[in-house]
Amino acid sequence: MTKESKGLPFLTRRATLAGLAAGGATLAMPGILRAQGETIRIGFPTPLTGPFAAEAKDQVKSAELAVKLVNDKGGIAGRKVELLVRDDKLNAGEAATRTLELIEKDKVHAIVGALSSAVQLAVNEVTRARGVIYVSISQSDTINEIKDFSRFTFHEALNPHMTTAAVAKHTFKPGSKVAYLVADYAYGHEMLRGFKRAQAAIGATSVGEILHPFGAADYSTFMPRLRSMRPDILCICNFGRDQANAIKQAVDFGMNRQSKIVVPVLLHNQRLAIGPEAFEGVIGGANYYWGLEDTIPAAKTFNDAFKAANGGAYPTDYGAYGFTGVSSLLLAIEKAGGTDTDKVIAALEELKYDVAKGPQHYRKCDHQSVQSVLVLESKKKAEMKNEADLFKVLATEPASETILRSCSELGFPA
Amino acid sequence: MTASTSSVAAVMSGPAGRRGWRARLTAWRVPLSILALCLLPWLLPSQALAVNVLIYGLVAVGYNLLFGYTGLLSFGHAAFFGTGAYATGIAIGQFGVPWYAAIALGILAGGALAFVIGLLSIRTRGIYFSMVTLALSQLVYYTALQASSWTGGENGLRGFTVAKLDLFGWTIDFLDPLKKYYVLMVFAVAALWLVSRILNSPFGAVLEAIRENETRARACGYDVERSKLISFTLSGLICALAGTLSALHLAIVPLDILHYHTSGMIVMMTLLGGAGSFFGPFIGALAFLLMEDVVSLWTSHWQIVVGGVFILFVLFLPKGIWGTALSWRAGR
Repeated sequence: MTKESKGLPFLTRRATLAGLAAGGATLAMPGILRAQGETIRIGFPTPLTGPFAAEAKDQVKSAELAVKLVNDKGGIAGRKVELLVRDDKLNAGEAATRTLELIEKDKVHAIVGALSSAVQLAVNEVTRARGVIYVSISQSDTINEIKDFSRFTFHEALNPHMTTAAVAKHTFKPGSKVAYLVADYAYGHEMLRGFKRAQAAIGATSVGEILHPFGAADYSTFMPRLRSMRPDILCICNFGRDQANAIKQAVDFGMNRQSKIVVPVLLHNQRLAIGPEAFEGVIGGANYYWGLEDTIPAAKTFNDAFKAANGGAYPTDYGAYGFTGVSSLLLAIEKAGGTDTDKVIAALEELKYDVAKGPQHYRKCDHQSVQSVLVLESKKKAEMKNEADLFKVLATEPASETILRSCSELGFPA
Repeated sequence: MTASTSSVAAVMSGPAGRRGWRARLTAWRVPLSILALCLLPWLLPSQALAVNVLIYGLVAVGYNLLFGYTGLLSFGHAAFFGTGAYATGIAIGQFGVPWYAAIALGILAGGALAFVIGLLSIRTRGIYFSMVTLALSQLVYYTALQASSWTGGENGLRGFTVAKLDLFGWTIDFLDPLKKYYVLMVFAVAALWLVSRILNSPFGAVLEAIRENETRARACGYDVERSKLISFTLSGLICALAGTLSALHLAIVPLDILHYHTSGMIVMMTLLGGAGSFFGPFIGALAFLLMEDVVSLWTSHWQIVVGGVFILFVLFLPKGIWGTALSWRAGR
């Protein structure tokens, strides 16, 4: 043993310490570099399975595009951006669990996503308790109200109030008789509430309302009842496949000859799935339509980038939320110079952005994105220039706080 | 079912018998569970998943008391799970009740509901029993949907986040996932010990007797109806406890918790792990949740994979994972 230690004379205590220090330093150096260039991680829970899967997949594609565009430019201050997509199964409990995982295990810097009123409120509850920024991209009125709001909560999507206000303004007339077919859950209820409020302001009257269960396939029993109400306007407040099924069956029963069919949100994917005949002349609101590119340069840029990344496919309405939501967040992170939550919140509150649909900004009190609402009409087959040419833009309700509920009505101190 | 009958036999034959290992396993089942649960958050991909395994494992254990040991196939256990969660959430959010009292209230509310539903449903048997429990639990679902000023309706119950636990001057940061897990684990372990105790008692033997042959148990002089009702209520109490833990964990109560899908999931987990065995339900919950979690990260077509695995289980492991493992070991 002693011979061996003699054979290694350089292994003195001092040399060992120096060596350890040097080794430690070289190991630590990339650690410091890594901390500077740490990836910006954004969690994206969305219902990849279930009845809203088509819309959710478009959201993912658009969100990935927003991330890709930033990464192609070299990221934000040298930091790459990563999108962590999780399937929330359209279940609030699952979404809350996934959000916890994203925050606790994946250490995300912010969350964007969810596609249902209940699910976004669940995600919001988890994020606000832990001080993580959440940009919601699904319609809800509740999330604007003071009870669910927090300074970490941002709402990029339209809300039912502004959607119905814009749609009603361009379809309801004083004295119109309106019949409602409403999905019996939060989305339907909030849309109905919005329409009735707008209807009262315009001077139209309601001739009846029928609630149908969420996910119903058969609407034939409702149609004779709706017919007997003799409405000028049949207002169908539901989402996803329900919308396609309800409109198709209303047309089968000849409701479109008797009255105008109006929906709160005219869905790109459902119109694609059912075809132009059933949807002909149906009017509804939207946050985005690719046809905006004729008038808005940002829409052209977004469409081109989306088509290039997705084999020529056109972006959809709900898909665009994924893009505008992630883009606004990334713009704010860039402005804030990092992922410090307080700075990013301040940047988001100040942000004026125009990434796809014209100017948008977050209102200070409730963090609702103030943006334009499109009123679209489904085209006849003969008028379509190509497969994706589905709608004509009847009107654009400009971005303005006047179509939102006032801050004091939502419960915020003046 | 036969696996557990032999477990009774194993206890009878004592540690000196040929199946002594099973008696030892039974004697050590609570400490073994505690050990496994302590390790769980370190073995699973995330702590949030570990808490879910804990909660759903507990629900399945509670359910197993009724289904696996008493032989009653209830299809309405979501009602007790959900009621426990709602009662806790409402107690904290609307009345500002401290967390430990809210847990007690949740258990009581779920237990009381189980007593009432049990009273009504144990008059029926077989498929009718399943239908009655399903119908009554749907009643609870629609009540929660309609009473939206209390339950938040479709949007779910929110606004009762417990960020810190105060107890005897101690403060625990409940947002820390690991601390949260171990706090909730204490309750789960207490419930496990209780279930183990019940199963080892003469009353537990009566339950198994009812499962094996109801007429004979009656002929032996046991009050079958009363035993069934007690079993139903106890099972509901444990599910309600799991519900209160779920409310504390997620800080929301989604309406889906009362949906019959949840009841179906509980049955599924129990069957997957092995009904009528002590460890089975927990293993079922673990396998079910882990598979969903991992496969859904890997592909959005996870339902095909998970469905395929379930079919394989039904075909080749009809006694569930743990049940089959037990009979393999016994067969050697």
